[in-house]
Amino acid sequence: MPTVTKKVALAFFLVLAALAPIASSIPFYPDFLGHNDWMKLLSHVSIFGIGALGINLLTGVAGQVSLGHAFFMGLGAYVAVVFGAPPGDLWGLGLPMWIWLPLAGIIPAIVGLLVGPAAVRVRGLYLAFATLGLVFIGEWAWRNLKFVTGGAFSGRKFPKFQWRVWKEEEPVVDFASDGEWLGFEITEEAKIYLLMLGFLVVATVVAKNLQRTRTGRAFQAIRDRDIAAEVMGVDEFRYKLTAFGISSAFAGVAGALFASFVGRQIPETWDLFLSVEFIAIILIGGAGTVSGALMGTAFVIILPRLVQDFTEWLSGVIESGEGTLATVADVVVAISADDGGLINTIPGVGPGLSVFQLNQVLFGLLIILFMIFEPLGLYGIWVRVRNYWKGWPFTY
Amino acid sequence: MTAEVMSGVILGQAEHSQLAGAVVSGLSLGTIYALLAMGFVIIFKATQVVNFAHGALATVGAFITAGVAVELNFPGRFLDVHPLFGWSISVMTALVLSALMGIILERIFLRPMVGEDLFSVAIVTLGMNVILMTIVTDYIGPDPRSMADPWGDAVADLGFVIIAHTEIAQFIVAVALVLLVAAFFRSRTGIAMRATAFDQEAARAQGIKVGAIFAIAWAIGAVLATVGGIFGSVYPRRVGVYSDTALLVFRAFPAIILGGLDSVVGAVIGGLSVGVAEALAGSYLNHPWFGTGFSGIVPYLLMVGVLFIRPYGIFGTEEIRRV
Amino acid sequence: MKFKFKCLAMVVALTLIAAACGGDDEVEPTATTAAPAITSAPATTAAPQEEPMDEEEPMDDEEPMDDEEPMDDEMDVMIATDIGVDLDAGVITVGMLSDLTGPFGGLVGLVVAGVNAYWADVNEGGGIHGLQVELVYRDTVYSVDNHVQFYEELKDEVVVFGHSTGSPHTVAIREDLEADGILAIPLTWYSGWSDPALNANLLSHGTPYCLEAMNMVSYLHDVLVAQGVDSPTMAVASFPGDYGLDSTEGAKLGAAALGMDVVYDGSGTLIPGQDNAPIGNAIAQSGADIVWVTANAATFTEVYGAAISQGFEALWSGAAPTWSPALVAPDSPIKDAVARDFYGSIYFSPIIENNPGTEFLRELMGKYAPEVPLIDYVVEGFVEAMILHEALNVAYENGDLTQGGVLAAAKSIENIDFRGLAPSESYVGGPNERLQRQIWITRPDPDALAAGTSPTGIRVIERAFTHQIAADYVFEEACYKLS
Repeated sequence: MPTVTKKVALAFFLVLAALAPIASSIPFYPDFLGHNDWMKLLSHVSIFGIGALGINLLTGVAGQVSLGHAFFMGLGAYVAVVFGAPPGDLWGLGLPMWIWLPLAGIIPAIVGLLVGPAAVRVRGLYLAFATLGLVFIGEWAWRNLKFVTGGAFSGRKFPKFQWRVWKEEEPVVDFASDGEWLGFEITEEAKIYLLMLGFLVVATVVAKNLQRTRTGRAFQAIRDRDIAAEVMGVDEFRYKLTAFGISSAFAGVAGALFASFVGRQIPETWDLFLSVEFIAIILIGGAGTVSGALMGTAFVIILPRLVQDFTEWLSGVIESGEGTLATVADVVVAISADDGGLINTIPGVGPGLSVFQLNQVLFGLLIILFMIFEPLGLYGIWVRVRNYWKGWPFTY
Repeated sequence: MTAEVMSGVILGQAEHSQLAGAVVSGLSLGTIYALLAMGFVIIFKATQVVNFAHGALATVGAFITAGVAVELNFPGRFLDVHPLFGWSISVMTALVLSALMGIILERIFLRPMVGEDLFSVAIVTLGMNVILMTIVTDYIGPDPRSMADPWGDAVADLGFVIIAHTEIAQFIVAVALVLLVAAFFRSRTGIAMRATAFDQEAARAQGIKVGAIFAIAWAIGAVLATVGGIFGSVYPRRVGVYSDTALLVFRAFPAIILGGLDSVVGAVIGGLSVGVAEALAGSYLNHPWFGTGFSGIVPYLLMVGVLFIRPYGIFGTEEIRRV
Repeated sequence: MKFKFKCLAMVVALTLIAAACGGDDEVEPTATTAAPAITSAPATTAAPQEEPMDEEEPMDDEEPMDDEEPMDDEMDVMIATDIGVDLDAGVITVGMLSDLTGPFGGLVGLVVAGVNAYWADVNEGGGIHGLQVELVYRDTVYSVDNHVQFYEELKDEVVVFGHSTGSPHTVAIREDLEADGILAIPLTWYSGWSDPALNANLLSHGTPYCLEAMNMVSYLHDVLVAQGVDSPTMAVASFPGDYGLDSTEGAKLGAAALGMDVVYDGSGTLIPGQDNAPIGNAIAQSGADIVWVTANAATFTEVYGAAISQGFEALWSGAAPTWSPALVAPDSPIKDAVARDFYGSIYFSPIIENNPGTEFLRELMGKYAPEVPLIDYVVEGFVEAMILHEALNVAYENGDLTQGGVLAAAKSIENIDFRGLAPSESYVGGPNERLQRQIWITRPDPDALAAGTSPTGIRVIERAFTHQIAADYVFEEACYKLS
């Protein structure tokens, strides 16, 4: 059970997160977090957090390596669009969000249960490859199910975040337009952020509690020693199935939220790279822990933005400033065609890597460095920092 | 290109069998898969590393070949020899460089991971793949880098089927490499590698230099990947190496699994059968019911099917599970 | 542990070395361009060889540097502004949603090179009535998610979007553009942009894929008929999505109007990254006389290579982005075959043409970006920039440089003349009056490419060509509908 300190810290953190939309009216709160683009970024983090909790249950807790997460996210998104989008050229039933969102979890969960039996038979790396096959087969399906997906490189619109009781014109709560809440002017982006944060909190509570139940313990037993677990009476078949089902439900909901959040998706979104991104998220965060999954998500999603802002700042330093920093920065950043540098801020092809490429390299490097130096990920670092302060001034 | 080269071509396809054409094009695709799969399996067997960066090895290798043959123009700038001979020297040079790259990558990224569980190591190679691909994509740029092979677009008409000279060369090279690999496994070093694959600690206790075995395995893997990358980047497939050459390996994964992750024979047979299946599907399964791009998922469907029947591939070793 | 740290050092060092030399000692086929990307300096920081970087540059330029005249303007006119225009600093900020490193990175890089050279020149000449135009780029990597995220980030910084790469991507931000009242120039040639329901906040330009294909297959049909082939047949193959399908729809409309049989229809069957050889084989089997392929150069090679290796001969053609000079480069194994079979098309005047527009372009590129090869997509950069320039000028003259003001100004433009670079554009009137139908038809020219006289590897055989079939086409809705 969490200690009182832990509970207070958690509550404090949650309140802080929920106050981000009105950042500018709170003293000492970083203003930029309330800007629309950061609201979008943080919503992105919340949505991917839900997906990361799902893959964490399956891969981190139950030890079943799956590269098929992107497939289940896509499935969730397309379930949502079939039930939630208004009827038109493409399939759409125009049902309200309280129907399409749960279904976006339930249907992928059922498909996950169907895949499960294969997972019991196929083990370890072979399972990773089999689920990789799922992603490619999914891509083919999305490409060809034009009446659902809109077709390759075309895509379609996804339902908006609007709470309706049934199909009435005016939504009861409209997250998709600016408005006034509790006396504060709240933008569309901030409203969506609050909604996503809410979903993330629910998902976190579910995932955290699940880990402490019989099911969660059974998952860990299967991960650590499957035969031993079976000998002790853990039904391997049943629990692997459950793990696939629950993980797919999380993935489906995350996919549906993500597609609606972006507003339009092309089928190419649900590709292998997305699955890999999720694997990276839980490894960087620390596989098998809820807080690790969330830290990993925040890290992986926000890092590119920080790198971008940082290079922007460096370019500014070179142009305007003199002194050591400008000299050092000049070595790192190229601001014109004949200027050498590691990072290239010139659009088009120039010397060095573009900001996006730099992000890619950092992403790869981080995965490697975490695997080599800190297999427990950000969570491991956090635990060490915490223990250090707990024991301070004694090192052990 | 001149009339001589084209002289083999007889216009009017009626006499050429569509089936034979599909099989040849499937075998040609299949040998590329087989080369990639073989390298992958050798690395896996010897070092217990699932190499997700194999596609990057193939792309970087082909890119190095283009660099040596075209940009450096080696050995063309020093000697005036028969193009085939000159090109062979370029390729040999590139293969040596690729082998070195394989050894260096193993030494830096994977040696610290020895003894870690399979999956963590696999993830390290995923990271490697991202880094290598980003950098090589930046180097290659948007336009392909030509392999400058001596065959150009020449084709030979065998009566029932037309086959490109590059494809004939590819078959010969692939057979030679398979034989070489077979011979290698019978050599002293090869036996040491098999011992290492069987049990790293026992092999070390027997005085086998396990580190050296790892290096050799990566060198072989990188060389095979490079050859696959080269043949994936010549006529009639491409006019040079693009960064998406790496995707070839994702298409070779089913071949690897089909044959079994740890079977070299399986890799060859898996590669060829997946290639032929894919080409046949491309030629015959084009009823609208199959949708577009169905041939692309045939290998994966095959793989999933096989895994249901034999969860460790056709030639793979069944894992012995202990408590 | 100590060993691990040694490894770390090696990892970092190697990556850095590799990255640092990334592409700098080789001839990059695409753009290295003028203005800083994400930096906030005016686009004149461009010309590196013109002036030494360190001294006068950014600070000076932010003042309107060109003498009295612009100052007068500012005195006389009251300019309304909201976002993205800073009259005190004298800067207009323009957002660019570009695919710089994704699948179309090579092509967009050239466009960007053109855009930057154009604005560098305008800024040097005093900007827009003394206001410097500053371009802020974001690399979307051709992902809809990134596109939307970057739109959100930039919409509170910029007065207008100078381009927006990709049709589904642009459609994804269309409703937001309308809600926010911002103008964007789509960098795609989708026929749907002519639809008044879609283009309220877009300034489309150029001949759409659909009419390009219609023109081209009609032209090839006539070529064959003139050679005495009666009732030629056609095969088509393309990528999925608006680019491929809009184009093959146009080809099929053209074929239907001419009574030409489509013997193989591979619309949407080419999947990048898969084995596309079977489609080439099927085209060879079909025995078509005309083959229309809408893809990229890499995929085109797979299809074309597979077909010609079967001894198949026909007239081949494809949408403009299908062409790459690499097909006829000196090392290309298929250069002679391509030179024999291929007909190219393009939506604007190629750079090797001589007209006031191309001369202006060559001069500016020589001055601001001499290292960029003069491949024809640079023209698109100039065309885009000229449209934006006109819109900003009109908005300034109207005294309204707000986001909405620029939008209203742009939609009132009756005629933009591109000095021969492209057919003139108008943004008033119905879709059929405004629809562009002209293309330039080209043939591959390996010798000119090798000699360096035609960096795109082409020679022009028809200028501003419109076939009767395309001229008679009545636009009702997009040839391929994006739902």
